[in-house]
Amino acid sequence: MRKILNSFVAGLALLIFAAGPSFGQDAKLIDAAKKEGGKVVIYGSLESDSMDVVSKAFQKKTGIEVEYWRGSATKVMDRAVSEYRAGKPGFDIILTNDNPMQLMQKEGIFAKYDSPSAKDFSKDSIDPNLGPRYRNVIIGVVYNKSAISPADAPKSLEDLVNPKYKGKLVMPDPTQHTTTTQWVASLEKLMGKEKAEKYIRDLAAMKPILVESLLPAAERVSTGETPIAITYVKYAYIYGQKGAPLDYVRLGKMMGDGHYLGLGNKAPHVNAGKVFIDYFLGQESMMMIAKLGEFVNRKGVYPPLPDADKIQFVELYDLDAKGFAEKKKEYTKIFLQ
Amino acid sequence: MNDRTVAIGRALPTNGGLARVALFFTQPVNLIFVGVASVIAFLALYPSFFLLYGSLTDSPLGVPGHFTLQNYVQAYSDPTAYPLILTSFIFGIGASGLSVILALTLAWITIRTNAPFRRLFELVAIVPNILPPLLISISWVLLLNPSNGLINGILVRLFGLERGPFNIYSLPGLIFVEGLILTPLAFLIIAAALKSMDPSLEESAKTLGSGEVGVAARITFPLMRPAILAAGTLNFVRAVESFDTPAIIALPARLEVFTTKIWREALGSFPTNHNLAATYGVGILLIALIFVYLYRRFTSQVESFSTVTGKGFRPHQIDLGRWRYLASGTALLMLTLMVILPILVLLLVSVLPYYHVPTWQTWQNLTLSNFRFVVENPRVFRAFRNSMILAIVGATLCMGLAALTAYITIRTKIAARGLLEGLVFIPWAFPGTALALGLLWAYVDFPIPIYGTLWIIMIAYITRFLPYGLRAVSSTIIQIHKELEEASTVCGAGFFATFRRILVPMMRPGIMAGWIILATTFMREFSATLFLYSPGSEALGPLLYFLYLDGMRGRVAAIGLVISVISVILIAIAQRLSRWDTE
Repeated sequence: MRKILNSFVAGLALLIFAAGPSFGQDAKLIDAAKKEGGKVVIYGSLESDSMDVVSKAFQKKTGIEVEYWRGSATKVMDRAVSEYRAGKPGFDIILTNDNPMQLMQKEGIFAKYDSPSAKDFSKDSIDPNLGPRYRNVIIGVVYNKSAISPADAPKSLEDLVNPKYKGKLVMPDPTQHTTTTQWVASLEKLMGKEKAEKYIRDLAAMKPILVESLLPAAERVSTGETPIAITYVKYAYIYGQKGAPLDYVRLGKMMGDGHYLGLGNKAPHVNAGKVFIDYFLGQESMMMIAKLGEFVNRKGVYPPLPDADKIQFVELYDLDAKGFAEKKKEYTKIFLQ
Repeated sequence: MNDRTVAIGRALPTNGGLARVALFFTQPVNLIFVGVASVIAFLALYPSFFLLYGSLTDSPLGVPGHFTLQNYVQAYSDPTAYPLILTSFIFGIGASGLSVILALTLAWITIRTNAPFRRLFELVAIVPNILPPLLISISWVLLLNPSNGLINGILVRLFGLERGPFNIYSLPGLIFVEGLILTPLAFLIIAAALKSMDPSLEESAKTLGSGEVGVAARITFPLMRPAILAAGTLNFVRAVESFDTPAIIALPARLEVFTTKIWREALGSFPTNHNLAATYGVGILLIALIFVYLYRRFTSQVESFSTVTGKGFRPHQIDLGRWRYLASGTALLMLTLMVILPILVLLLVSVLPYYHVPTWQTWQNLTLSNFRFVVENPRVFRAFRNSMILAIVGATLCMGLAALTAYITIRTKIAARGLLEGLVFIPWAFPGTALALGLLWAYVDFPIPIYGTLWIIMIAYITRFLPYGLRAVSSTIIQIHKELEEASTVCGAGFFATFRRILVPMMRPGIMAGWIILATTFMREFSATLFLYSPGSEALGPLLYFLYLDGMRGRVAAIGLVISVISVILIAIAQRLSRWDTE
């Protein structure tokens, strides 16, 4: 008993010792942030509900208010870059997809900030410039169990091109939706070049219903309008929570995009920005986001989706402007003509 | 008398030196012209300049670039661009035509006949202008999609059909939905003109033996020509530049229109190609300007449309006898399509935990959580407050400017008045998002620190929607005979007294119609707001858009319904005020 007690006290002391400097640093930063105005301004594409939960907890803990401007990745980049070039950046933090973050990084928008919270992310998820890739958005195959029985549902990506699913498939338009362009272009990562090329043509020959982005695809499956969708796997959980009879195909390897956050190098509230990044990348905040269905990269934290821990994540190819233009041209011929 | 008329607004001095310039500025109307022209020129040209510049340069705005025509070559040398222009044209003509036919029928029934419940119909007809177009499109997809659309489902079950007879994912489907969305705007313009019409011509025709139908066909509708053309022109351009409905219906139908092309090639591409977007914008601008020119030609015979004269009148009401029930039935059918069905779908969506075709089990899962969110969330409250300020203050300022502009362009002989009208249409002709980009670039570095405040959004709204106000008020002003102003001038009243005491009261139906169009549009606008708001000045448009983006359809529907109720109250108050004033 004494042994257990001793180890507990030693453990507690270690915890206090380990946490000590970090709390000290936080308190100093928080004071400085309050002197700057006590608020942090964020432009990002994280869903508003997720941000709401995190901001409330953050404000309760630090007393710093969060002002959030939400937009799609392209709009976030448009606004941030325009403001930055005009010399009037209104943001402290940008938080969005990999590709636009890399472009903004090249533009020189971000300051380098090594958050102490970054150490709990695996090394392969840390970008030398942008820090931890805090979440992955994973694309898979989601189906409606009322419209198609689990036994009849596809079991692999290859199954999707079986003629029996013709007219039953919805996906974002790969000539228009950039993440889907990347997804189609990256199929060779899973299948090899030759097989992927044939697969893309077979997929187009299925005449899938093409929609604007990944969410409308998920919605069409949740309403039962179309039984099967290529969309974010997390929607199986999010719509499932509301009662929609959705499940996802256990593909093993699934591809997706990474998300990062960065501190503006002309941030009006630089200290508040740092405090927020430290909190956002911390265990508490990541757990909250994961609970809402997100795949966060902190070790051992998974969304409450069955078999989420078994998914092997494969990152999508990054494409540059020229790459996107070429792929769009190619897919216009394959999917639309 | 005619000499006095010409004196209201002289031609700009072309020679004669300082004395003539001084004379020019002694006329109050000329001073007003200079003031209004300066404001409009600034509002229209400042952001447009950035877009035009953007189309002629090879780098994003804010970065020094080189002059190039490459964007034009890329945009217009693409052979696939031409079939889609034809599709856009058919779509625009179809949707605006449908909207005008529906609006004309509805306006005639509600204003000129004794059909039962006409007042209620008149109020309800404006409701779709309040709902975000996105919501109406989604409602129709849920009603008419070929696989599980509710109407298709009911028809299949009733008649034992193999498949649903309707397919929303088609060009007729696209035209149908956009036509319904555009009808309230046409209705407001046409109804305003119909209300201010002098019945003496109709009475003369009746005296000479024409029946009710003959009077309507030969007198009433031809007299309505400026209003019909105004509504048709506005709605044609609005359809061609709309993105919401095509994004939801055209894409799955594999149809391409101008705006989906712009999205695919420029604004939705990665990274965004603003230069190319601006270049497409210039194309739409030219098309829109052709329509403005046509409109001005159609209505150049101003005098021939003057139907409001100095004689006292009360619009003549037609007794339809037994047919009045049929008229009410027709109006009800239209309103069912325009309002009742979409609202019912929204109501259903707002109380479901997620949307699905209702079954018996559905009734056990109904939830009020979406409405609870509307009531409890401080962000929603703030957005409502911001949008109410924008709607009431913005619409009032905009109509003030529109009334002055309409007066100058139609009533005075000032040489540059045509230019003024052209200026108003420039920002409107750019697609919403492209203009929003222009506004962002134009105002982000503006010396007065209004970027990120409500004021910048208000400036954007006034810039973009001034033509709506202008059209609504112009079609009424055209109908007012000059004899009233002339009488006032002869009696010694100055410009301001004549404007305030004669013209504003006579223009009231148009001003009210315009105010209602603007206030309801401002309540839900999002494409310009999205680029210009900062977190503290979030309005309802962006809030709805983000909730939609996050898949919160139930919340979007609940907020949409609350906006509708508030807007109906706002409209009822506005109409009451205008009537009370008349009494």
